[in-house]
Amino acid sequence: MDIIKKAVGFRGDVDAAANTGVPQNLTTWYYMFHKKEAVTGMAIIVVFLVWSALEGTMQALAYYVRRPNLGWVLLPHDPLASPNPALSLRPPSLAYPFGTNLNGQDILSRLLYAAPKDAAAAMVVVFSAVVIGGLLGVMAGYYGGWTDEILMRVTDAFLAFPGLVLAIALSMLIGPGFDSVLISLTIIWWPIYARLFRGQTLTLKYRGFVEVSRLFGVSQLRVLFKHIFMNAIDPVLAYMALDFGTVILTYSTLAFLGIGIQPPYPEWGSMSSDGLSFFPSAWWYTLFPSATILLVVIGFILVGDSLQDALSGRVSDR
Amino acid sequence: MRSNFFFFLVRRAINAFVTLLLLILLVFVLIHVVLPTPEAMAKVYIGSTHYTQSELQSVIVRYGLDQPIYVQFLNYLANALSGNFGMDSLYKVPEMQLLDKFIPITLEFVVVAIFLQVVIGVLTGGLAALYRGKAVDWGIKALYLVSWAAPVFLWATLLQFGFAYDLKLLPSMNVANPLLTPPKPITGYPLIDSALEGDWSYFDSLLQHMVLPVLAIAITGFGLTTRMMRSSSIEVLDRDYVRLAYMKGLSGGKVFFGTVFRNAIIPIITLTAVQFGFAISGAVVIEDIFLYKGMGFFLYQSVVNLDYVAILTTTIIIGISVIVANFVADVLYALVDPRVRLE
Repeated sequence: MDIIKKAVGFRGDVDAAANTGVPQNLTTWYYMFHKKEAVTGMAIIVVFLVWSALEGTMQALAYYVRRPNLGWVLLPHDPLASPNPALSLRPPSLAYPFGTNLNGQDILSRLLYAAPKDAAAAMVVVFSAVVIGGLLGVMAGYYGGWTDEILMRVTDAFLAFPGLVLAIALSMLIGPGFDSVLISLTIIWWPIYARLFRGQTLTLKYRGFVEVSRLFGVSQLRVLFKHIFMNAIDPVLAYMALDFGTVILTYSTLAFLGIGIQPPYPEWGSMSSDGLSFFPSAWWYTLFPSATILLVVIGFILVGDSLQDALSGRVSDR
Repeated sequence: MRSNFFFFLVRRAINAFVTLLLLILLVFVLIHVVLPTPEAMAKVYIGSTHYTQSELQSVIVRYGLDQPIYVQFLNYLANALSGNFGMDSLYKVPEMQLLDKFIPITLEFVVVAIFLQVVIGVLTGGLAALYRGKAVDWGIKALYLVSWAAPVFLWATLLQFGFAYDLKLLPSMNVANPLLTPPKPITGYPLIDSALEGDWSYFDSLLQHMVLPVLAIAITGFGLTTRMMRSSSIEVLDRDYVRLAYMKGLSGGKVFFGTVFRNAIIPIITLTAVQFGFAISGAVVIEDIFLYKGMGFFLYQSVVNLDYVAILTTTIIIGISVIVANFVADVLYALVDPRVRLE
């Protein structure tokens, strides 16, 4: 058996997991918890998300009880402290692990303070894109004909724009601010999901369980949502995991260009861009924010990559 | 066979044109969703915050903003197709006249970057597939994960610092040495023009200034190509005809370059068109860091100056160039893989 496997090119751990008597529905998780990259990625993501939830709650609380300092009780320093020239551009030290910026604010505190917004952006954009793109894609695939043709041409037109460029144009038209970036990112993000879901729907459409539920007179909406959308979402998961990272990259690149959250509120991308003029003498100013983005995005890419291997063959691009 | 190819071309061309029309419609709709009233539109066209009510009205009348929406769209479409995207609200010259200078500069370095990116991606991807599961595979994976996950401005900054400021090997900014006189525009592409006119010192200066932006784009982009090349090479390596080639006693190198490589590279063509879009996105940031005065730099300046007409025009032009890139990729694909033409 082993020799044959070697000869035909052994596909690796997925088969191994499938052959060790682990129940089929557990294999994805089994795989994810037994692969170093996947575990590393998941650890990064869990730390990022738990921190964001914690800090995000504190910030929301601070906003509602009108006590701003509640927003940074968990942080070593006040991230929005008023400019203090005496502390300006301190190199990393025990008191300021990542150094200070031009205004003498602690960079670590600012990075931690900005995390919830990035997490929120990734979640909101990817989930809205999945819902909008998913429903349109499922409709296009299920009904076919003109519905399909029109929806797919529109999708093509959206996909012709490089994401960042259209995002810039849209957020300029909508106006400055966090919400406007989220709206424009969602507008550019759904088409790729419409493509993915359409492809999945085409393979699911004639499967037994869909035809049986139609025969039983299940309403069309229920068939579309419960039987097609919910089954199509599983193979798209790997792509989604990767996409959280891509959203964070695009979001911080927009912030780098000065679009999105406005100063004095910290944002990873705008912090890197502020530090650029002091590079290389104050290297910590721009490098730590960039490295934070890198680390979080790597976390999502590692998980997405491993998920894709685990679910391999089930995701097709178009 | 020839006529098949011709029909394929025509079909793809029609498809591309329909996408182009929809793209223009899309921009038009987006503008009108965001700015629903003629007054809101006129405010954007005026381009400053100080205006009187009569000025607002005169702009509405001049641009026909009070006409029915379909009339406005037909006007917009006719103008856009004839290359008239309006006057720049800052420089007070037609938008295309401004962009004429910027488009070739961006296209030049993006095309070079894409070429480099494909070469790196195909080589590393092929190597990773050949040595899959071994140290080489892991090393390449680590390499592209880091290069891919890093924000594009991180690489640009590091390159600029390392090669330009620290080692002083390459110029840190600008398209060419501003002290040299540029060649007369023949094609509009400075690199080609200076070569045609034999102005080698300018040519050399252009190349030197191009290296760092090109590297920055290639580094951030090659990961996708590597990944695709690795998986498609692995797929081909498992095929019977590859095993047959080995059985015939061909050397590993011959099998790889003669059989595997040629089959595995086909999906890369489509991916490269997608990469073109990413590269232009990256160019917006990279041109800003290197003060490389192309389309991306212009777009960023328009964002800073709140020049909406310029932003929308640049967006449409970039969209069109991506459509053209996709069309070229389709044609190349059909040339390389005859099965596609028969679909």
